[in-house]
Amino acid sequence: MPLVAPAMILTVIFFFVPMILSLVWSFTKYNGMAPARWIGGANYTYLTQDPAFHTAVWNTAIFAVVTMAIGPGLGLATALLLNRGVRAQGLFRSIFFLPVTLSLVVVGTMWKVLLADNGFINQCLALVGIHGPSWLEDPSTALLSVSLVSVWAGFGFETVIFLAALQGIPRDLYEAAALDGAGRYQSFRAVTMPALRPTLVFVYVVGIIGALQAYDQMYVMTRGGPLKSTTTIVYYLMERFQRFDLGTASAAAYVLVVVLALLSALQFRLSRRDA
Amino acid sequence: MKTAGTTLSIGLLGTALLLAGCSPAADPGGSSADPSTTSSASGTVTVWDYYGQATPLKKSIAEFSKAHPEITVDYQAFDYEAFHSKFPVSVAAGQAPDLATLDMTWIPLFAANGLLGDLAEVSQGQLNGKPLADQYSSGANEAMHYDGKLVTALYDFDAYALFYRKDMLDKKGISVPTTWDELVSATAKMAERPSAGAAPTKYGFAVQPDTFHYAQYLFQNAGSILDNDLKTAVFNQPAGVQALDFMQSLLTKGGGVYWPDSATLTAAVKSEQIGMFVNGPYMMGVLKAGVPEQSGKWAVAPAPVGKQPGSYLGGTGLVIPTGAKNSAAAWELAQWLLRPDQQAYVFTEAGAAPATSAALDLPALSAPDPYFGGQAPFSVFEDAMATATHFPYVASWGDIDSAIIDGVTSVMLGKESSQSALDTAAKTSDAALGN
Repeated sequence: MPLVAPAMILTVIFFFVPMILSLVWSFTKYNGMAPARWIGGANYTYLTQDPAFHTAVWNTAIFAVVTMAIGPGLGLATALLLNRGVRAQGLFRSIFFLPVTLSLVVVGTMWKVLLADNGFINQCLALVGIHGPSWLEDPSTALLSVSLVSVWAGFGFETVIFLAALQGIPRDLYEAAALDGAGRYQSFRAVTMPALRPTLVFVYVVGIIGALQAYDQMYVMTRGGPLKSTTTIVYYLMERFQRFDLGTASAAAYVLVVVLALLSALQFRLSRRDA
Repeated sequence: MKTAGTTLSIGLLGTALLLAGCSPAADPGGSSADPSTTSSASGTVTVWDYYGQATPLKKSIAEFSKAHPEITVDYQAFDYEAFHSKFPVSVAAGQAPDLATLDMTWIPLFAANGLLGDLAEVSQGQLNGKPLADQYSSGANEAMHYDGKLVTALYDFDAYALFYRKDMLDKKGISVPTTWDELVSATAKMAERPSAGAAPTKYGFAVQPDTFHYAQYLFQNAGSILDNDLKTAVFNQPAGVQALDFMQSLLTKGGGVYWPDSATLTAAVKSEQIGMFVNGPYMMGVLKAGVPEQSGKWAVAPAPVGKQPGSYLGGTGLVIPTGAKNSAAAWELAQWLLRPDQQAYVFTEAGAAPATSAALDLPALSAPDPYFGGQAPFSVFEDAMATATHFPYVASWGDIDSAIIDGVTSVMLGKESSQSALDTAAKTSDAALGN
């Protein structure tokens, strides 16, 4: 017990206490300076009526759908290619994983330059006669642009996860399937996908949890605009925090906590079922 | 069970200890340090500065330290954006600096939340031996007060004028625009496009969809952001709608280029995509540092006028935060920084505009500037300050600013009409004001 006491105290002070304080603040009008004033559920009611929060929830959902529709699929496809025993597999694995090692601030700054009106991407498009859009300055393309950049930054992680899972599938399962006359596609469906199911659950649930907390790339690339088209839930609550509206910020944070808790419970349940 | 009980006890002890120390240390009333605990003008003064590499404070502080050996200055520099977050957290935690530079647009938010001390207490209305109010313009004096309290002393000012490529106007035989109509016409003639109807790719006029630039045209059209009681948004009235329509006409009829990212303006000037823009005196230093090869090609003129001259008034203020531990020494340093000879460094080091009336008469400010073709551009900004208006000092200014930016952006992108966009922004603003 004495050995874990320091860790326990640190966990209580730096984890549980801030969580409890934030929960309390979510039921108050509090600017961080004057004493907090209890207002009950008014902050949560405000969130249900605030168009800016609705926009943030919608943008967050779209961001999660786009990144999770493309990212894991791209990661799995890349892993399948690498698993075919290509030469310099280690080198390719490192190349695909490199963007994952970059901070999102670096990724966002770099892509903001590439996606500028006269940036590299539009210059390449111009070479083939295409007039590229204002990727980050048009509300109709800004969120998609930020989402695709996030996919680029993150699919390497999924590749490595899937590659490890693929390499863990026993070879004799494929041999048995081949003996039964299964072709490549049938082997993939009957052997690979069932074996990858726990990994898929992990990747999707963890990925969605990460997507719902997106902030860095929105801050760096678009500052939540244009016209709030890239404002996510975390961006919204950070803005409320910066305007000393800690009550509303805490309420928004706890709305997100509830959603994330439900997703985590779902992952836990699905993982137990697979075990 | 014994283990669980011990764990629980440790957890509760840790929680109790932390909560005991968690109460805000700062006085929420917004007053400066209690006079009974205020030090005499000696000891250590902690200064926080967001100015950046070109700060004029370092030179001034070095000279101050020689003149005042009894006061030790602990100078700390911060990134502009990090400062906005760090300052209120530090004040709330009782870790406030003694003196800080603040963007004037932050004043309403910070003052409304009790972060700024009342300088009237420590200054007794005097600045370097003379009445403080007499050393600033009336607009500056107004901008330095919030809810009747003197919350800041203006250190440098920001008011807008027209920067233009003189060489291109001369080459194309275009007169310097002095009215809105002339601005549309001049920018249309100056800009170069790859084809008819395409956005300018050379020598365009930057149309920036932010409140600073919209307010320029709103104030020039005799409009206001809020009513006199600061209770209701009025920028969606005809004056405001006409101002936004005019901004849009710069894109549709003039040589305007939609430029939402102010951070890339210097690069656009360098590539000559932009040849004209409206901005504040600090851009003089930015151009000299960022685009030295265009020296001699630029000039500054009063911003083209609508119904009347007008501009937003901003700049940098010196503040003594609530809870400052050495406000007396901080005020000594503030007074030093506001001496005319020290205010000169605002111009010579940072290329910005000193704020005090006495500093405006400095010889350095009226010297011909080779970058601007031998013109002495500072006087243009001095004239702009005389008719400049600060943004409304309301606690919810951040939400109002954001609503206006969204409205202006929506119109610039052709998403809706000026009236519709501003009505939406006004509704959001009124909600933020508590209506």
